[in-house]
Order: sequence, then C-alpha cells, then structure tokens
Amino acid sequence: MRRFTRQCLFLLLTMPFAAALADERLEGLEEQAFREAAVAAAPAIVRIQTVGGLDVINGLLTPSGPTTGVVVGEDGWIITSSFNFASQPASILVTLPNGQRYPADIVASDSSRRLTLLKIDADGLEAIKPADAGSVQVGQWTIALGRTSDQPFPNVAVGIVSAVGRIYGRAVQTDANISPKNYGGPLVNIRGEAIGILVPLNPENSDETAGVEWYDSGIGFAVPMAAINNVLPRLQSGEDLSPGLMGISFAELGVTAGQPVLKRVRPGSPAYEAGLREGDIIARIDDVETPRVPHVRQELGTKYAGDAISVSYLREESVTTVDLTLTSKLEAYVAPQLGILPDRASQADDGAPGVIVRFVLPDTPADEAGLERRDRITAIDGVPVANAKELREVISHDRPSDQIELTVVRGASEESVIVTLTEMTADVPEQLPSHAVSESNTPRDEAIRTGRWVDVLGGDESRAYWAYVPDAYHPEQAQGLVVWLHPAGDTMESDVLKLWQPICDRRGLILVGPKTSDQKGWTPSELDFVTDLVEEIREQYTIDPQRIVVHGYADAGALTAYAAFQQRDVFRGVSIAGAPLRVRPPEVKPEHPLQLHFTIGADDPAFKSTEESVEILRTAMFPTSLLTIPEHGHEYATIDAIEAIARWIDALDRI
Amino acid sequence: MTNRPILMLRTVGLLILLASGVCRPLFAQSTRETIDVVLPRVVKIFGAGGVANLEAYGSGFLISSDGHLVTVWSHVLDADVVTVVLDDGRRFEAELLGAEPTLELAVLKIDAEGLPHFDLSQATEAGPGSRVLAFSNVFQVAVGDEPVSVLHGVIAATEPLSARSGRYDVSYDGPVYVVDAVTNNSGAAGGVLTTRDGLLLGMIGRQLNDSESNTRLNYSIPIMELTSTIRQIQTGDFSRNRDDLSSEVANNFDAIDFGIVLVPDVVERTPAYIDVVLDDSQAESEGLLPDDLIVFANNRLVHSCQAFEAELGQLQPADDLTVVVRRDGALVTVTLTAPRTLPQR
Repeated sequence: MRRFTRQCLFLLLTMPFAAALADERLEGLEEQAFREAAVAAAPAIVRIQTVGGLDVINGLLTPSGPTTGVVVGEDGWIITSSFNFASQPASILVTLPNGQRYPADIVASDSSRRLTLLKIDADGLEAIKPADAGSVQVGQWTIALGRTSDQPFPNVAVGIVSAVGRIYGRAVQTDANISPKNYGGPLVNIRGEAIGILVPLNPENSDETAGVEWYDSGIGFAVPMAAINNVLPRLQSGEDLSPGLMGISFAELGVTAGQPVLKRVRPGSPAYEAGLREGDIIARIDDVETPRVPHVRQELGTKYAGDAISVSYLREESVTTVDLTLTSKLEAYVAPQLGILPDRASQADDGAPGVIVRFVLPDTPADEAGLERRDRITAIDGVPVANAKELREVISHDRPSDQIELTVVRGASEESVIVTLTEMTADVPEQLPSHAVSESNTPRDEAIRTGRWVDVLGGDESRAYWAYVPDAYHPEQAQGLVVWLHPAGDTMESDVLKLWQPICDRRGLILVGPKTSDQKGWTPSELDFVTDLVEEIREQYTIDPQRIVVHGYADAGALTAYAAFQQRDVFRGVSIAGAPLRVRPPEVKPEHPLQLHFTIGADDPAFKSTEESVEILRTAMFPTSLLTIPEHGHEYATIDAIEAIARWIDALDRI
Repeated sequence: MTNRPILMLRTVGLLILLASGVCRPLFAQSTRETIDVVLPRVVKIFGAGGVANLEAYGSGFLISSDGHLVTVWSHVLDADVVTVVLDDGRRFEAELLGAEPTLELAVLKIDAEGLPHFDLSQATEAGPGSRVLAFSNVFQVAVGDEPVSVLHGVIAATEPLSARSGRYDVSYDGPVYVVDAVTNNSGAAGGVLTTRDGLLLGMIGRQLNDSESNTRLNYSIPIMELTSTIRQIQTGDFSRNRDDLSSEVANNFDAIDFGIVLVPDVVERTPAYIDVVLDDSQAESEGLLPDDLIVFANNRLVHSCQAFEAELGQLQPADDLTVVVRRDGALVTVTLTAPRTLPQR
C-alpha cells in the first residue's frame, strides 16, 4: 500500500510536465494544421488587381491594392467579393498561383451577398473544395486566406466561427482578421475546405463599402459555399442577382420591433399586387412563423429577386395565404403634395381641431381648388384630422394624382372641397410672409443664450462652433435650425453671420456653424460632430423638426449631402451652394421626407455638374430646387439667393 | 495486482519529464511557459512625446545580462532622460548607444547586471501560419511593477515592406512579418515577436497604414535583419553609411523616350492607355499599338498613368523594360530597352 502511494506521488509530481507536453503537442499540431489547411486551399486562391477607377466612394478613399479571388470552376470561373470592384476599374487582372496572368471579365454579380463572378480564359484550374455545409459549427477553427502579395504562400489569419446564419441568414461570422487583404478569399476549415468566401458586410447598412469599417474588430463575414454553389449556374449564365423585395414596411422598426404590422405597402409592389394592405399582420413566410419583425427579415434575407414565396397574413382575425414573386426594384415612392403651409401653433386659438392654412403655395392643387389663408381643414375623406401632423401622415399614404375630399371650415360655413394631388415639389414661392413671431405672456428664462455666441461641444477643443439665436427667441415658439458647413480653410463666420442674421430674426431660424479642425476641410468622420451638435442645440432650444437644414458651400457640399443622407431622421432639407452633389442619393423614404436646394452661379465651373445633380435627384424622386444666380461665379450666394433659401426653409413644413 | 502497469506509467512519466524539462532548458515549450520566460526580458520605455497624438512611451527588449536593450528608433528617444522600467518595477536611466533609422533600430544601455535577456544567436525565422506571441507595452497598460501585455496570433505573411513604392511612410526597405493580430498600436513599437516556444522572431514596428488597402499594417522587422547592426552598435564598431539615405524620386525616363504617348492624365487614376505610338520608335517596332492598356511594367502593376511614369523614372540607362498590355481581351508582353544615355531635359 505504501508502495502504491509512492507511485501515485511520483505520478502526481510528473503530471504538470505531462500537461505541459500535452499543451505543447496540441499547439504544435494545431499550428501544423493551420499551415496544411492553407497549403491545401492555396492552388485555388488567385490574386486580383485592378487598373483605373474611382478614388472615393461614399466618402471613403477606395483601396487600389490587390485583392483575392477563389477558383470555383476549373475552366476559369473565379468568385470574389464585389468590394474589389466598387471603384469600377477599367480593367481586371487575375494572377494564378503559378504566376500566370490573365485579363478577367465580370460575368455577373450577386448584390445580396456582395459577390462577383469573374471569368478568365483558362483551363485545368484547381477549384476550391467546399466544406460539408452541415459541418460548420460555432467555435471551430477557421483560417482566412488571401493572396495580395506575390508570395508563393497565401496570407493567413486564424480564428474561430463566431456565429452562423448572420446578416439575415446570409453569412458565417468569424473572429479571424478580415480586411481588404483577404476580401474575396476563402474562409477554410482545418482541412482546407472552404466554409465560405470573405466579404465585408454590415447588418445595418447595405452600401457597397459597408462592413469595411469593422476590419480590425474581430468581426468578419463569409458567404457560405453552399449558398454560392446554389446560385453559381445562374451567375455563370450572366444573371445578376439582387435581394428580393416585397415592398412593405413595418409600423415598428429596429431590432426590438414586435409584431410585423404593415405600415406601408408600396403601390405596384409584389406585396400590393398580392393584396396586402396597411394594417395587415404577417403571420408566416413559406410556412415559417414570423411573430416579430426580425423573423420576417430573417426569412426574406436569403431570398433573391425572382424567388417565389408564400406569405400568410392576418386581417380582421382571418388568415389569408398568398403567393408572390419578389422583385429587385421597387418603384420609387413619390411624395404627394396638397400645397399648403399649416399654421405652426399647436392648435387653433379657439381650441377647435383641424389644420389652419397659413399659406397656400401658388400653382398647387390647394391653390387650384381655391383654398385660402385661414381656412381650417377638419377632415380628409370624411375622417377628422386634429392637427398638421395627422394631415401630413394621412396624405403621405396617398399617391400623386389621387383625388381626396377635404372638409374645410371657412368663417362660419363648412364646405367640401375635392382636390387632385400632385407630386411634391421644392419650388420656392416668390413671396412668403414670414411667420410673425408673436409676443408671449410668459417672460423668457434669462439663462437662455441669444445673439451670437461661441462654444466647444462637450469640452472638446476640436469640436468648436459658433451659433446665432434671434433675440426674440422664446421656448414656446419652435425655431428652424440651419447647420452651416464652411468650406476648407475658411469659416466665413463674419460674412455668413452678416448675411443671415436679419433673415434668422425675421423667419425664426437658429444658425450654428461647426468648425472643422482639419485645414483640408470636412471628412466623413466628422459627421458625428455635426449630429452631436444638432442634438445639443435641440436640447437647449425648441426646434421645429420639420425645418432642420444643413447648408454648405463649395467643398463642404460633400459632407452637407452626406450628413443629410446618413441622418434621415434628423434633416429635412439640404442646401448646397457652389457645388454639385458628390454623394450618391439614397432611396426616398416616405417616413423621412427630404428636400434639396442648390444655389449656383451661372459662371461657376460647377454649373453644369450641378444641373446634372438636380436631374439625378429629381429622377430619384427627391423634391429638388435649383437657383441659378446670373453673372455670378464660384463666390458664396448673394443676399437675394439667401432670401430665397430662407423662403425654401420656411416652406419645408409644406403638406 | 502486478507492478507492471505502474512501472510503465513511471517510465512514461520519466520520459515526459525528460522531454519537457531537460531537452530545452532555456526555452519552455507551452505558450504559458514561454510567456513566463519572455516577460522579464521585455521592458517599458518612457521618454519624449505626449503631444499631438504622439505617445511618450514605448517598448524594448534586453539582449545582454549587463543591460543592453533594443528598441525602435522613434521620437520617444528624443528626450533628455529616457527611462527604462523592468517587469519587476525597477527603474533605470538609459543611454543611447547608437541608432540606424533605415532599420528603425536603436540600441540603449542601462546600468544593471544579471538581467534575464534574449540571446540574439538563438533568433529564428518562421513562415505564414506559424503561431506567434507579441509582447509590448501597448497603450501603456502596464503602469506599475508588472510585465507588459501579450497578444497571440499567427504570421499572416512574410513580404517586403517596400518604401520605394510609396505605399508606406517608412524608411525601412526589407522583409517584414505581417501578423493577423492587432500588434502595432501606440507604444507597441520596440516590443518583440516570438514563436510560441519563445524564440526571437522580430521587433514590432511602428504604426503604419497600408496606402493601397487603407488598413493598418501589423508588422515586425525580422531580428535576422537587425542582428549585425545591433552587434556593431553594441561593440562600438558601428558607423552609419549616410550615402544611401537619399529618398529623392528618380525621374530618369519618360514614356516618350520609348515612343509612347499616354492618354491625357486627367484624374487621379487615369488608366495607362497608349494614345499615340510615335513613328520609327522602339514602341512601334516592338508592336505596341494605340489603345493598348499598359497593365504591368517590369512585373509591377500599373494602375495609372502616374504609376507607369514612376516606373520609367526608376530605370537606369540600357535597362530592360518588360511591358504587359491588354489588347482585345488578351495580354501581350513586349520587352523594350531604355536608351543608353539619360535624356537631356
């Protein structure tokens, strides 16, 4: 027995060494496996280089460096990330692992999973071996491979599978380092079989370059090989694939949204044609229960345009199931216009419900139907409306050319007026009486800053700004807010203040001028500063959400448009002077109306491109106005032009 | 019950003991043990900085028992007093023995004895996929009598860091280890990259951006590239060769010297299309044609007119110039020769 104890003691003493050896052996074996996996996949990994193309996309400098592709067919088929071609290069070159170079053509793209299929004129290539689709498990080793340098061995990053079924079912997530160095390359398992193809993705954003911002964060994505192989024949035939759209939006948005109640059904969309309407509740898609909005998005996430689905919806306690075919493109939403400016008081002096007309915009349906100032609209199609917000909401669901019946109280009489709506415009009325600032009974808090003042946001010296608040400001009266973005190297503070001050006083506008600390001008990363500043001003003052405008001149025009397109729920207007649109416009959203206004000198070198921008925006159904200043060059706007901009701002709450 | 199984276990245990402890007494074998061995050999360095996003701290590593240490050549050393703090909190003033900016290298000396240190002769090399550990005082996290931070990853690639390409803002012009972990952050430069069993691989470099992919480059300079210079500085035999420091961009030849006129260079990345091929020129005799798109010159990608002119600028008289053009969807290779004399301008 004593002898046995001694033996045990000996073993106990040697155990730590045994453990160390086990650690060491395991680490060594894993290391060897990483390398072998890379070697196994290497023959199918090619290098892609591009020649020519754009420098800047969505405000980001586009990479010009090489990227990676993966052979998926031995006769020259190569799949890669569409990110590689966001700059629309003039020519694409593929270098095989053996150093042989080929020109490549884009055959087709999958804009849902952000992949592009290339073809080179080659045979006998070694295609990647896909991993068994069912075998992918969270926690397993992953090796991300790229071929961006002319080294014989692909570049390697190691991690694990962090999640499966991400980005609405489209991607596998990994913590391996995924960046432009391996976008388009394979994510392989320990045996060198491809789990998927690496692409930048972001669930909140579907821009061409979305997801790149996560390159160093431990969050990367790969599109599963099984999904790619499913659609490969379609891509090979030259068919471009897009996300499948139904044409619906929900009453609740965001990740915590509840029941999928339809808020809008886009007229003419697959959902509309199949009979879905506002207020219906989506109960099932393809027989999968969808109790919440995210379930619906998850089900639709992997569907392409052209895919047929069945949708069951609940209406008045009965469930109906319809079949529909998803589409790639919905007709743009076109905002309808009645043509009135509502009174800005929350309700009429006598407390009666309805919308008092402050102004009738000329040459609009309201004008033609004979509506007048001080008319009170009490109902639309027989349904009472209590205030301007309700009227705006109801009309936004109509289509231009729809006929509506308004109940209008004029003096002591009530009458019914039939109006045919038109498309919303950004036309600026020649005359627009300023909304008189009425005296208030309650005195204003002394502590409220008015006049011109300067400050830094949150004590951060790099976030300096100036502001002008009319002396007549009173918290009971909401003001418009103009965010002025100055051009590079010149804040133009005194000039702008001199021109705008009387207008601000007259029309009830607060002017704020953030200053960029960068001599070269605004960068997209300063969008945070601009939005934080708007939030700060809105906390300090009563601001009318319908009249928040970002106004920029010359090179600041880029951030001006970018800010408005990114912060749709904040800005209602974009005013750009002396510059065209440099950012691609997004889709019009009924819930976030946005108007644009351009001011350009007839002799400005940017005159022609500005005209083109306006055309592009109008085609995209954004109400857009262009003011040309005759015999004017690239200088900032004249006082007359600024008066016009101010009238446009004053009419932004138009219905 | 016989004794045999126990005897066998005992033998196996002894073998394990030998394998793990005796064979490589200096360097432990598992990652955990490696870390214990390496940490006391890495130091924290404090000096100049603290303004305009320049950190006033860095990392270094000991290479002799009597206080020689290696770090990166940086603004941190540009101070009256450079302080070195060991893992146990001991503090020393350091003397700068020498530096070689083209290698990003500086050697310091502190007045101490009996220090644990790396043996430069035991430095090694490794390739992509190899597991590595990075030791540095990244973000100055180690503030007291505590060792620096350890990060793990694998070598992503070994590739040249070509200063000439203009891709990186760096004077070092040799091979580097690129790592898949975020090793190069504030204060990390001068730290070490080791294999998982603790052998020296490289010195962590400064923060660099890759201008081609707009991403951070996490790189280390191989110790093998530094060893001889470190030795020379250590022994006092070092004298810097200042002649090769000129970073002037050469402008030896233009496209016209080969009979090529490119399309007007209107945007930043105008593709290098041939506009005109001059009569009786080399370009004509070798068969280049208008509308050919030049895509490679001497094996380097030509992504714009500017890139092509830059490539020609580097040529010496009578050098070969191999041009690959894309014509009608195929690639055509043509070899030209630079004139024997530099053109008069």
